[in-house]
Amino acid sequence: MDLPHDASRLDLSDPTSLGIAELGVAIRSGLLSPVTLTQACLDRIARYDNVLHSFITVTADRALASARAAEAEIAGGGYRGPFHGIPYALKDIVDVEGVPTTAHSRLMPDTPATADAHVTALLEHAGGILLGKLGTFEFALGGPSWDLPWPPPLNPWNTDFLPGGSSSGSGAAVAAGFVPAAIGTDTGGSVRWPAACCGIVGLKPTYGRISRRGVQPNTFSIDHCGPMTRTARDCAIMLAASAGYDPLDPGSADEPVPDYVAALSGDITGMRIGLIRNWYAGEATEEVTEAVDRAAALLATLGAIVEEVVLPDIGQYADAKTLISMSELYTIHAPDLRTRPEMFGAKLRQRVMGGVFIRAEDYLNAQRWRADLARGLNMQFSRFDALVTAGWLNAADPADPNGADFFRRGRNVTMPFSVAGVPSLSVPIGFGAHGLPLAMQVAGAPFAEATVLRIGHAYEQATEWHTRSPILHSGVSA
Amino acid sequence: MTDSPSHDDIVLLARQAGLNLPPAYLQELVEAYGNVRQMIDRIPTGRPRGDEPAHVFVPTKFLPAGQ
Repeated sequence: MDLPHDASRLDLSDPTSLGIAELGVAIRSGLLSPVTLTQACLDRIARYDNVLHSFITVTADRALASARAAEAEIAGGGYRGPFHGIPYALKDIVDVEGVPTTAHSRLMPDTPATADAHVTALLEHAGGILLGKLGTFEFALGGPSWDLPWPPPLNPWNTDFLPGGSSSGSGAAVAAGFVPAAIGTDTGGSVRWPAACCGIVGLKPTYGRISRRGVQPNTFSIDHCGPMTRTARDCAIMLAASAGYDPLDPGSADEPVPDYVAALSGDITGMRIGLIRNWYAGEATEEVTEAVDRAAALLATLGAIVEEVVLPDIGQYADAKTLISMSELYTIHAPDLRTRPEMFGAKLRQRVMGGVFIRAEDYLNAQRWRADLARGLNMQFSRFDALVTAGWLNAADPADPNGADFFRRGRNVTMPFSVAGVPSLSVPIGFGAHGLPLAMQVAGAPFAEATVLRIGHAYEQATEWHTRSPILHSGVSA
Repeated sequence: MTDSPSHDDIVLLARQAGLNLPPAYLQELVEAYGNVRQMIDRIPTGRPRGDEPAHVFVPTKFLPAGQ
């Protein structure tokens, strides 16, 4: 097993270096206080985030109060489970009662949210310690932006580069060891892209698996919340803490939440995996192509039956997703665009305004096309237990305000699984030029999160990429 | 629409749809039109009348709170 059950074997000298599973063992045993852990995370944020800009709001007083309460509850025999006493943070489009939700935008009022989002409430119920709200692309779409009140987060592995997006602060904060867990959101890849760029694990679950109530919308019919952690095991723990039916979210799925951690057997012998090579070979950089090929070969050596499968060009999925998104985004943002366009960051404004030209006929034809694409992709799960492809087509982009706009490329390897609404896990599979991480996606049938986590975990057990940490540098002189 | 409309046509289209942007943003609007038009032209059409889109209305999802 990869997880020590004996807490005395853990090195607790720097608890920020540990993941949720290890921290849970130490907290439950009483060897690690949630207060000590929370303070260590806050100290690390104070020391290094002046360079990385991953947090928009740090809720230090609230976090320490929650940690003291967790410490007392656990000492009194009230241990709630593996998320109890674990620090986490939220992409700043997710509501927390009493804390403003900025959406990284001048358009949002500077007033506290009046209620927790459903996902926030579940994580609090599980005993999580909220450390704050994280930077994002504006409204999970317009970024990276240098014309907003908060600078874009940077990549902890190399601060000349970006962490991907739109859950950019979530990716950077977890990779930097500021928190062992964060919630991101994903409409076209916004959990998986930053996970890939930051060398962490990110899961876009099945559509409806985690409620979106209390989360600023991007595209109602494609929005997902998802956990971002350092390992597949941690991802399983956070998913279990955040998933569940919410009758007040019309997209929420009334499906039981299985024991995701129990599925992590480490054994993938005989599992059938379809390798979608045509989505990255000839599309991705050479280092990504080689790394994904190597990762697929390793899955085969672990006992999986890996077979190449050809699916429609990724551009087809991108067209369907983008037209649907632009229509729904325009509906959401048109009142502001008509009355105060100057308040938008340029990238959000440019990406939203095209929605005015999409007719109802175009939107519904895109939704019809989405249905075809989803059926075609789901057919593969009668042949395969999971599908594997690249996590992203290149390593992180340079942090250049004048750099090329990613959204103009129209080639996005994460969007097919967004369109189909199926679970997709981004797993680190190596490092490329400039010391930047590379990743693969493992996708499964609807509600087969346990399957993709099992494969990701088995891959981790055979590699050491997930154990590496970036070396951080403080921007403050002593 | 298959012909390439002029800058003024595109601005008029947006205005008729209720978006009357200041001049500073009109070039962005023209570029957005081109991008959207290309995507629309790539989406398959000519579908059967009864071809259901990938969204449905589930009446039980919109009950008043508490029911």
